Amino acid sequence: MITLFLLIALVGYGLGIFLPLLAHRRPRVQNVLAHGAAILGSIGGVAVGVTGLAAESPFVFSLPSTLPLLRYAIRLDPLSAFFVLAISLVGVAVSVFALGYVREFYGRHSIGALGALYNAFLLSMTLVVLADDGFFFLVVWEIMSLVSYFLVVTEHEKAEVRYAGFFYLIMTHVGTAFIIVTYLVFYQQAGSFSFEAFRNLSEPLPQGLRSVVFVAALIGFGTKAGIVPLHVWLPYAHPAAPSHVSALMSGVMIKTAIYGMVRVYFDFLGGEFPWWWGFVILTVGAVSALLGVMYALMEHDLKSLLAYHSVENIGIILMGIGAGMIFQSYGLTQLAALGLLAGLYHTINHAMFKGLLFLGAGSLLYATHTRNMEEYGGLIRKMPWTAFFFLVGAVSISALPPSNGFVSEWLTFQSLFLSFQIPDLLMKMMLPISAAMLALTGVLALACFAKAFGISFLAMPRSAHARNAREVPPAMRVGMAVLAVVCVLLGVAPMVVVPAIDRVTTPLVGVSIADKVLTEGGLALMPMGGGFASISTPVLGLLLALLVPVAWLMAVVIGGKLRKRFYKTWGCGITLQPRMEYTATGFAQPIKQVFSTIYRPTVKLETDLLEESRYFSKRMHFETHIEPVFQKYLYDPVVRSLNAVADRFRVVQTGSLQLYLSYIFVTLLILLLWVR
Amino acid sequence: MGVIHPDIASQMVDLCAALLLLTCFAIVAQRRLSACVDLFALQSAFLAATAALVAFLTGIHHIYIAALLTVVIKVIVIPRILKKVIERLNVTRELVLTVNIPPALLICGALVILAFYITQPIISLGFLLTKDSLAISLSIVLIGFFTMIARKKAVTQVVGFLVMENGLFLGATAAAYGMPLIVELGVFFDVLVAGLIIGIFTHRLQDTFDSVDTSKLTELKE
Amino acid sequence: MIESALIILSQAIAALLVSPFIVGLIRKVKARLQCRQGASVIQPYYDLSKLFRKDVVVSTNTSWIFTATPYILFASTLTASLLVPIFLSKVPMNFAGDVIAVVYLLALGTFFLILAGLDAGSAFGGMGSSREAIVASLTEPAMILSIFAVGLTAGSTNLSTIVHKTALLQDIVTDPPPHLMAFVALFIVTLAETGRVPVDNPATHLELTMIHEAMVLEYSGRYLALVEWASALKLLLFLTLLSNIFAPWGIATEAEPSWMALGMLVWLAKVSGLAVVIGVIESMFAKLRLFRVTDLLGVAFILSLLAVVFFYILRV
Repeated sequence: MITLFLLIALVGYGLGIFLPLLAHRRPRVQNVLAHGAAILGSIGGVAVGVTGLAAESPFVFSLPSTLPLLRYAIRLDPLSAFFVLAISLVGVAVSVFALGYVREFYGRHSIGALGALYNAFLLSMTLVVLADDGFFFLVVWEIMSLVSYFLVVTEHEKAEVRYAGFFYLIMTHVGTAFIIVTYLVFYQQAGSFSFEAFRNLSEPLPQGLRSVVFVAALIGFGTKAGIVPLHVWLPYAHPAAPSHVSALMSGVMIKTAIYGMVRVYFDFLGGEFPWWWGFVILTVGAVSALLGVMYALMEHDLKSLLAYHSVENIGIILMGIGAGMIFQSYGLTQLAALGLLAGLYHTINHAMFKGLLFLGAGSLLYATHTRNMEEYGGLIRKMPWTAFFFLVGAVSISALPPSNGFVSEWLTFQSLFLSFQIPDLLMKMMLPISAAMLALTGVLALACFAKAFGISFLAMPRSAHARNAREVPPAMRVGMAVLAVVCVLLGVAPMVVVPAIDRVTTPLVGVSIADKVLTEGGLALMPMGGGFASISTPVLGLLLALLVPVAWLMAVVIGGKLRKRFYKTWGCGITLQPRMEYTATGFAQPIKQVFSTIYRPTVKLETDLLEESRYFSKRMHFETHIEPVFQKYLYDPVVRSLNAVADRFRVVQTGSLQLYLSYIFVTLLILLLWVR
Repeated sequence: MGVIHPDIASQMVDLCAALLLLTCFAIVAQRRLSACVDLFALQSAFLAATAALVAFLTGIHHIYIAALLTVVIKVIVIPRILKKVIERLNVTRELVLTVNIPPALLICGALVILAFYITQPIISLGFLLTKDSLAISLSIVLIGFFTMIARKKAVTQVVGFLVMENGLFLGATAAAYGMPLIVELGVFFDVLVAGLIIGIFTHRLQDTFDSVDTSKLTELKE
Repeated sequence: MIESALIILSQAIAALLVSPFIVGLIRKVKARLQCRQGASVIQPYYDLSKLFRKDVVVSTNTSWIFTATPYILFASTLTASLLVPIFLSKVPMNFAGDVIAVVYLLALGTFFLILAGLDAGSAFGGMGSSREAIVASLTEPAMILSIFAVGLTAGSTNLSTIVHKTALLQDIVTDPPPHLMAFVALFIVTLAETGRVPVDNPATHLELTMIHEAMVLEYSGRYLALVEWASALKLLLFLTLLSNIFAPWGIATEAEPSWMALGMLVWLAKVSGLAVVIGVIESMFAKLRLFRVTDLLGVAFILSLLAVVFFYILRV
């Protein structure tokens, strides 16, 4: 069964890579071929994920290769299946969306190349989480990084896109270098690159090397995930790609890094962690979450805003995983399982709602041809469907009940609060402090999405772009609808999701907690029993759905039939203009002021006054920026010193071909002498 | 102790100590000078109540005298002097702070956590009357010290100094059941004199610089 | 089952019926302190019933968000108040949500209200929404943490369990310092979340100062009635939390009709007492500047955090 599904997935993506290249210069055909194949492949992927989660034992498959050390080995255990499911679910929706969206690029870019790269991207991500061999993993990881680089620079005629792509390329390779270090440490001990060997080392790694692995994996995968301070590339690269690719990058590609961390920490290293590992992960998570949402609040480019929210949500995921690791180090395995469960639940939730929101942003871009929120407005009347789906995504990411984001944030809260069982004082203090940071993050995210939705969709159109917008084609709406439905289901059906994730965490931490977490016949979630806390999103959702009509009925009973009059909004005696509306900058202004310690805003105001009177101004110029702290104090010095070193080596670079040839010649001679 | 169950007794002392800490935070968040002084008077009143409570619970009578002196000097006399100074100098509020209030609050929160972390090994030895008061008194001392750093006006610095002293006194009564009477009397006298001296000093500062901003003192180095 | 349904229903009705009275009481207290006679305490009921019957004026700029928000706000606030013990400590809906759910349900209402404020396109609405966003972001963490600090002493974050155990003084750690800190924090949160002086002034319509009133400026008729009723309900919910979490004594601990009747009376007395206190505070203090509000809310946040840390360090 699994073999068949796996074959469908691989063949689907494979066809998607080759077919569009055949239909040269016929964008319509290329579009249908590429994304049709991608839909087929990702449906196969969904089936692989579901059967893999249900399977009793892992599915293993391997092919030898002609290269030494490399083995095309695949292993589908629950952890891999979970991530395959997340990737493929988003893949289905995004591929449907892309059928409509890439029409935007007809005639401007090669649809064949775009479609082929898109399929290669999905295929490489699927293989990354399936790989069962260190070398093979690195190969597909590198393919994933390169393919996503090419996708980022699709619109390479724009300078900022080229910059974003270059930045991404460098950062991702720095990350890959650290992942290589991780695997080399294992290889040196195990004598093989197979994950099976990593898992069952004949003699365990010494503590020092274990910590090297921990740090290298954190930096390596953390760069891809976008943890602070390695996040700087993410808000450039994710928005620069075409929107459906952004949805994949922000929704699922960064999740492959989460997969890598869980795989290396819980599966390979396993056992008891030193206390500081979890502490580091938790701190990194809390800081990423808070700074991510804070920078997001200051963004007025809708796609950059969403990209910063990816930093935030990766932070929330890591808080769950970090809490789990801390519990693991103190032998509290059930709580460790809870932390990991919370992290993985948020992983799949974030994949869905971030995918949805990026598709929504893509729809806005498609309809208005701008990413600047200040030029949107009033789009809810022009694009009611897009608005509704975006609202579903916004409610979910703001963790409002009964959405899926609420369930996973709640579980994260609970795993942080249950830390009073830890015997160590420092840890005990750290966990409630991170809970406070999580609470702050949650509400700031709410403020940010109130801004994003309110400024983009409500009130009057702020520009000609927004006035001329039209609802997007059906394919794009269907793509968003799929993810919106999945979001709602993940929220109101935790009784299905929790046991599924429990199958993932059980082999990793050694205990199953699903029947402890689910109570009241599966209606309510209660971590660790004992009545510490419980929620039931189905019941809350039902109550809300019930009370809205009750409120309506009550109003009718008390007040009789509704008599409505329409009139224009009062504008203090003059006609209300879109320019008088609150802008996104204005909306975020109080927050900027309150947290000015973090933002370090600079304001520049120039006023040209009339010569006749100093009370009237001819022209005003207002500029405000926030300081890019990390780039300025962390990256710029590194880049500067690298440039300085490079300058030194410039002497050998004269540009003379003869000289270069003589370098090679001398090297060759030296090598020949060396091997003599 | 006898009359009251020791658990409840220690909780009562803890409650009083917590009230002292609460007023500390109110002082940190308050910009109006006269309100700072009022809050200090309130804190001293809580301190007197704590001392009286400890005296009652332990039966050590000379702590009553210390409580009484606290009321007289710190609740009545010193706030009066400071109010006079404020009135004469006509400075009502502090507009520019070295550290803004929200970060100052965060720092103070961190100081409290630090104080608890430091005193935790002593607390777990378990010979104290209460679990919290030693940690709280250390927190108050640290917050008082921080207030002196964070504020610029001489009057609030005096308040910071006095808050520190309150913290020390709380530690002395709650952890060590009071110092010998003679030491306490000496301390009270010191505080009173310090209050007076700083009061006069503030006047001089005002006369010289037309301001009670202590950062102006850097101009004296020439 | 039927008994539970009856309790849920009576809880909803009690909350709905009492909430306008609390608003009237606060106004009365303020009037008396200003040496005015003031309107009767039942004036808010008249206001509501009149508003329900009046025509609705809707801006042509608005979308369905504007019309749906009053209903969503009302439903979410009412759902939240079903999770809070009012006169009986064992709420039947207890399993459906804990304190985090209550906070996030209220946040759901706030989210839609912020959107509605932006919907009409008026600058006032935007101003109100923007300010509400910053106030909410600073209060809600403090609210979660302060209730959680008390929850730790009872070993649960479910409100019913906290109240029940505290009322019976069973299986709990009595511990004054965290309770004191948490109470002060939650009190400040109450003032901020329900738009009271010194954070916001419910009686003003001056554009420079208003927060909540600016956000709901475009509402009229039954929409306004629902919004006002929901905010009265929210006020009552906070006062109930303050009284029942920190001093639940008098609440019925068993579902006996006579006990519940007594519990109802005690609850009325407690929330009325708190309402008087709020009235007095509103008369004593001036409204703070918007950017000074953060100082106050910072105090609430730090105190609630310390309340939790106290417990973690010293008790376990």
